[in-house]
Amino acid sequence: MTLRTFASAALAAVALHGQEGLNPAKLMEAPVDTWPMYHGDYSGRRFSTLSKINASNVDSLSLAWIYRTGVGGIKATPLQINGVLYFSAPDHVWAVDARSGRELWHFAWQSKGGIHIGNRGVAVYGNWLYFLTPDCNFISLNIKDGKERWHKTNCDLDQFYYGSVAPLVVKNHIITGVSGDDLDRPGYLSSYDPETGDLQWRWYSVPQKMGEPGSETWPNEEAMKHGGGMTWQVPTYDPELNLVYVTTGNPQPVIAHKNRAGANLYTGSIVALNADTGKMAWYFQASPHDTHDWDATQVPVLIDGEIDGHKRKLLALAARNGYFFLLDRTNGKNLVTSTFLPVNWAKGVDKNGSPIPDPAKMPQTDGALVSPNQGGATNWPPPTFSPQTGLFYVGAARAYSVYYLFDLDEQPQGWGGTDRGGVTLGSMVQAIDYKTGKIRWSHKWEGGSRAGLMSTAGNLVFAGDGSNNIVALNATTGDPLWHAGLGAPVGNGPITYELDGTQYVVVAAGDTLWSFAMRSK
Amino acid sequence: MTNPKMLTRLLAAVSFTAATVSAQQPDMAASKATFDKVCGTCHTPESALSTPRTKAQWEESIDKMVQLGAKGTDDEFAAILNFLVSQYGRDAVTDAALAGRGGRGGAPARPAGGIAASAGAEDKHVVDAAAADRGRKVWAAECINCHGTYARGTDNGPSLVRADLVARDRYGNQLGPFLRKGHPMQSGSASANLTAAQISELSHFLHQRLYDTLRGSPIFIVHDVVTGDAKAGAAYFNGAGKCNTCHSPTGDLAGVGRKYEAATLQAIFLNPRPPAGRGGRGPGVGGPVAKPVTLTVTPPSGTPITGVVVIFDDFDVAIRDASGEYHAWKRTRDLKVVKNDPYAAHDELIQQYTDKNMHDILAYLVTLK
Repeated sequence: MTLRTFASAALAAVALHGQEGLNPAKLMEAPVDTWPMYHGDYSGRRFSTLSKINASNVDSLSLAWIYRTGVGGIKATPLQINGVLYFSAPDHVWAVDARSGRELWHFAWQSKGGIHIGNRGVAVYGNWLYFLTPDCNFISLNIKDGKERWHKTNCDLDQFYYGSVAPLVVKNHIITGVSGDDLDRPGYLSSYDPETGDLQWRWYSVPQKMGEPGSETWPNEEAMKHGGGMTWQVPTYDPELNLVYVTTGNPQPVIAHKNRAGANLYTGSIVALNADTGKMAWYFQASPHDTHDWDATQVPVLIDGEIDGHKRKLLALAARNGYFFLLDRTNGKNLVTSTFLPVNWAKGVDKNGSPIPDPAKMPQTDGALVSPNQGGATNWPPPTFSPQTGLFYVGAARAYSVYYLFDLDEQPQGWGGTDRGGVTLGSMVQAIDYKTGKIRWSHKWEGGSRAGLMSTAGNLVFAGDGSNNIVALNATTGDPLWHAGLGAPVGNGPITYELDGTQYVVVAAGDTLWSFAMRSK
Repeated sequence: MTNPKMLTRLLAAVSFTAATVSAQQPDMAASKATFDKVCGTCHTPESALSTPRTKAQWEESIDKMVQLGAKGTDDEFAAILNFLVSQYGRDAVTDAALAGRGGRGGAPARPAGGIAASAGAEDKHVVDAAAADRGRKVWAAECINCHGTYARGTDNGPSLVRADLVARDRYGNQLGPFLRKGHPMQSGSASANLTAAQISELSHFLHQRLYDTLRGSPIFIVHDVVTGDAKAGAAYFNGAGKCNTCHSPTGDLAGVGRKYEAATLQAIFLNPRPPAGRGGRGPGVGGPVAKPVTLTVTPPSGTPITGVVVIFDDFDVAIRDASGEYHAWKRTRDLKVVKNDPYAAHDELIQQYTDKNMHDILAYLVTLK
């Protein structure tokens, strides 16, 4: 071997090292040298066991690199596999060296339409990457070079659906949600074959025929089949129970609700589905008969906890409607219902633990003063749970607005109203004791913040404030410990990983990916 | 459109738009850059442009984005509003007039040279308003009994707004073959005999109905919001609400019932902060110039300095004082920072109002002509 061929071989080896496929075993481990799926692991807790960066040294965290896409805002949580970051924006996917920020490839899709409000990220199975486009395509790329392998259809653009959510890999299933609540269409969750892209199963958020379970919560089949319930959030998964936990969106029509009397199952719900068949095991409705566009598509976080001295398989949700729920995830039974902010729209809680909507606080012709507002007490940006502190952290906002009914027709369709005006009184991180639902601490931001969160074994919670900073809070006390100005609000959920002994924190702000590293210690 | 006040407001909005376009055209590239910079931090800017909106609707959108954390100066938001109204505005009067007749013209616009951004397919049916008006006549003659005035269906026929056939149709290319196969019509004549022009017109009418169902549709307007008891509102104003501590019906509030449309007045008394989308200089209820939120910062050894907030977070504080000078500090325990929010009392009240209070206060305020 000449020196030159040796050098080429070495280069090829380095390049190959960075483009290896994902070992499926990594999906079952706590993420350390990878971040192999949207939530980091199947639990959705976005907790890292890494502690090189910790509460005592985080003030030394420094810039490693930045990568600017030049394309809109990044809402995606990047994946990190074998030293390469994979992330997306609507119609775009990038592969970037996780150590240096150098671009390896960039894929751009020629769009045929759809709402381009955001893309939450990609999924990787072996050597293949999967993502959704606004124009309803489900696309597979080769992770080595970003070349398209195939594209399939996940929804009908003419029915005003679109794609924004990151797919989830479970065994040999690529599980994808669907977006779009402009017209009255049913939401669904689909499972596709990773090799062929063929549909394996599809679960509809609303029953498809009168007489099916849940249909008793709709006045008729017409209302039910057009009843919405989009699957905007990436599900979580319990491998032992083989259950996928999906949260569902608001019913349709969104605001004008005269023609959909009833609880409107399974919208505004947490639903457990068999990962291989898509058959429903149980449901819990977080927002019965939602009329405020609140949905329940926040992250259903899986907690292996302890209640009254017994180990329990639990699921926690901090919902957009202001309620925190703790469920037994084997059967959906409610253990805790509390509010993580003051709310004024419910009359109480029913025997199942679901809030009871107050008809007076549903949208009115002359306006109803409601808290939270349409933006919600929280929204899609991910919360985090630290098993170290036992705290569930959620980015929250306290706001009032006036909900008006515009469409007074007996058969409203689409939206038919909205909220207007009002005020945002503040935004904050709420640290919730998962066992009781009580607020342990609250760290209020000046200005608005809608950032995603991540917690680490370094007793840290990473967040974004209202001044375009990424901030590290002490996970036990909420005290702010470190910040860096990013020039734009934190746009996604931060991630962390360790490569070659260095722990990195990567976060998006605007069109830029920022990487921080602990190099000195 | 039966509310003359609303019409006046809309006319004002349109004349504003016209003036803006001619006066500001040379700066449009700069305004677009500002739009990209401020709005592009959270989403692809084009995603905001899916539906043309009136000035009032754009103001509302911008206010909502500010609530969600959009960051910009007053001048930047003014430039953004200007850009949106001139480039992605709707003719509010035409819309409203058409809405009064049960429809509207036009389809969602596509930004020139921009990426496909709007809800639905890029090649979606673009409505010709005049053709849709003609289509409405065919509708009334042949379809309305079964499918309803708004094509939303009746007991005798399904909603066509929700029909896949209509969603997939472009200018009659699906509707035509369907009707030519034969479909009952209320006059008894054969649907196969509808002319190509009639089918095209029906298609325009149905797509108009479809687009009017989408969120942000200009036909969706606030109805009568003055439903409260003015006497009870006055009692609250002078009693439990303690509004009279700061305001007077013959002083700062004189004429507010004449000055503002009721729904606007309701929004203002709930939160009188100037809407960001109006450049921050608009008249609030409290006076001709909106009062800013200020900070008073007292360094460990020094005199207090008061100024408007530039930066205020856990780590830094910066203000601009009355003379325009910029002051910045690292936040420490020894640095005293006090927030002076002239609207704090309103934030307290919004947490206390019942809906009855809200409606009563409005009923009282509209009497202040």
